[in-house]
Amino acid sequence: MRGGAINRVKRHVLRQAVADNLDTIRGLPPRSLRPGRRFTRLFLRRAPLVIIPLILAGFAFISSTGGTRAAKIAAPVAKSPAPKVAQASMTPMLMADTLEPVSASAFPLSVHRVVLDAGHGGTDPGASSTSNVSEKEITLDIQRRLATLLRTNGFEVVATRDNDRLIPLRERARLANGSASDIFVSIHVNSIPHPNNHGVETYYLGPTNDPALTRLAASENLTSGYALADMRKLLDRVYADVRRDESHRLANAVQSQMFSGLRGVDPGLENWGVKRAPFIVLVATEMPAILAEVGCLSNDREAEMLRSGAYRQQIAQALFHGIHAYASANDAPQKRGI
Amino acid sequence: MPTESEILHVGIDLGTSRSAISASNGERFVVDSFVGWPADMVAKKVLKRDVLIGHEAVANRTMLDLHRPLERGLLKEGSDKDVEAVRELLKHLLRLVGVSSNGKVDSSMVRAVVGVPAASLRTNKQYLRNSMKGIVDSLMIVSEPFAVAYGLNALLHTMIIDIGAGTTDFCVMKGRYPGEEDQRTLTIAGDSLDTQLLKLIEERYPQANITIYMVREWKEKHSFVGEAPKRVLVTAPVKGVPTELDITNEMKTACETLLPPTIETMLDLLSRVEPEFQERVRNNIILSGGGGLIRNLARSLEEALKQVGGGKVTHMQDPVFVGSDGGLALALDAPDEDWEKLTA
Repeated sequence: MRGGAINRVKRHVLRQAVADNLDTIRGLPPRSLRPGRRFTRLFLRRAPLVIIPLILAGFAFISSTGGTRAAKIAAPVAKSPAPKVAQASMTPMLMADTLEPVSASAFPLSVHRVVLDAGHGGTDPGASSTSNVSEKEITLDIQRRLATLLRTNGFEVVATRDNDRLIPLRERARLANGSASDIFVSIHVNSIPHPNNHGVETYYLGPTNDPALTRLAASENLTSGYALADMRKLLDRVYADVRRDESHRLANAVQSQMFSGLRGVDPGLENWGVKRAPFIVLVATEMPAILAEVGCLSNDREAEMLRSGAYRQQIAQALFHGIHAYASANDAPQKRGI
Repeated sequence: MPTESEILHVGIDLGTSRSAISASNGERFVVDSFVGWPADMVAKKVLKRDVLIGHEAVANRTMLDLHRPLERGLLKEGSDKDVEAVRELLKHLLRLVGVSSNGKVDSSMVRAVVGVPAASLRTNKQYLRNSMKGIVDSLMIVSEPFAVAYGLNALLHTMIIDIGAGTTDFCVMKGRYPGEEDQRTLTIAGDSLDTQLLKLIEERYPQANITIYMVREWKEKHSFVGEAPKRVLVTAPVKGVPTELDITNEMKTACETLLPPTIETMLDLLSRVEPEFQERVRNNIILSGGGGLIRNLARSLEEALKQVGGGKVTHMQDPVFVGSDGGLALALDAPDEDWEKLTA
């Protein structure tokens, strides 16, 4: 490339790099995520998520200033169609300093469609045992078994891979996000430096920072009206809270079923609990997401068990019971005090 | 408005393993991306310092609460210590090039371009910027492969493969600021290679007493794929006695775990380039980052390119400062009016 052309390209990319940083300073999402249609779609999809807590908080505000009658009717109103009451309740909500924490229990989300993600694949075998069983093969088999169980019980299933091929993590997240699914379950098998130990553990995405963001959006709204950027911040923050809490509940349900379901056949199995970690698939997916480490290939005894179809079926069943327990709790919100 | 001579421009490569700084006053430094705080009062008394950074932190790790702020290529949200570690690392790098602890060099202004792993920029850009607030006067954050490409003037029909410690970043430059679709990130990189190598050596020499830090040093000296250039012999204590171990096969196996995902991702990204430009990109693939120094890696990638018509892969002879130099070039090229908007 000639000198003049290089300089022209350099000026061009530099301008874009500066613009990208200015967007960050202003709190705008990346340009690649900002075409009008996507924003509208996101807004429409997430609007109920903010409107319902607005209603609840609005009534809480009224109840704190106007007696107990409003509080008593808050719950039934929350279940009524949101748009009818949103306008009335928005003002007190944005003035109040009570935007968070936003409890996930405010959103009784049903689970209809599940993304199953069999870890690794293709040229990436994942962990392997001394007897040459590879993680990619086990995760795919368990995923297929779990998919059958879920479909038999009325769930829809989307698989990020259904054969032995490598799908980049970003691609998996993109596929999940485009599938309009309700939850994301990634299946993996552990390998640790201590061959005598083996256990199960479940991860969900760690908490987002900045608890002040929602308050900030509310205070900005007081003076600037409902600018789209502000509303977007508010929606994203509320959604982040819900997604994290829902992911945590899903992780708890799955971990508990996995441990109790598998301990019976493997008394030495350890419960390594529910943990938070920024795995890319958990960061990039837009729905409640977990990553389950369903066993340990570094333990020879367990590696041997993981070779057997019967044990894989038991793992699939344990995962199914976990997902089912989470979904059932969501379908019965009154039991959780809503 | 300060004059040009009163402004210090810096480019910083904030890496998972190493961080480098290049400044407009000609100074360049590199440090290990480790930050440690004395674990208790005794450690504080022995070390006589509030915080240790880089090699010093690694050397005294037994007495420290040790952090690598961008482990796995991401700044962990919710971890105050990791945020503090990033800030300490930045301040340390700036001190090395002459910026005093209050952020000033002889009362002048500091403008910094910080290159970070592409994954961290995609997932928590806002958080990253907030974490670096108030350290310099003006701040621009860019993805590391982009800084590399800018520094090398490789902005058109080029692919950068930046193999760091936490992530391997791929970026196709198409004459524009790279977007989501131009980039890929793998978490298979230097760190996962270390873990694999440690596991393999422990399997072969169960009596040997080896740490991940020793493995990392060996890898940096002897890594290779394909045919071994020579036997890899290292010394480690076995039951307390220093013993020579042959880890040639283990080194080869561990390093070659990088090949399949790297090749697959490279070919996948290439296939998404407009057909008329694919050949040009294939012939302009640049390996950067510490992983780019793995012997025979460029040749192995060229072998893989033969299935799609062949291509050329070059690796940076000195990858240490290529990112920070690119950041400095960006800092110097950005006009004053832009810098004024990018206050930190």
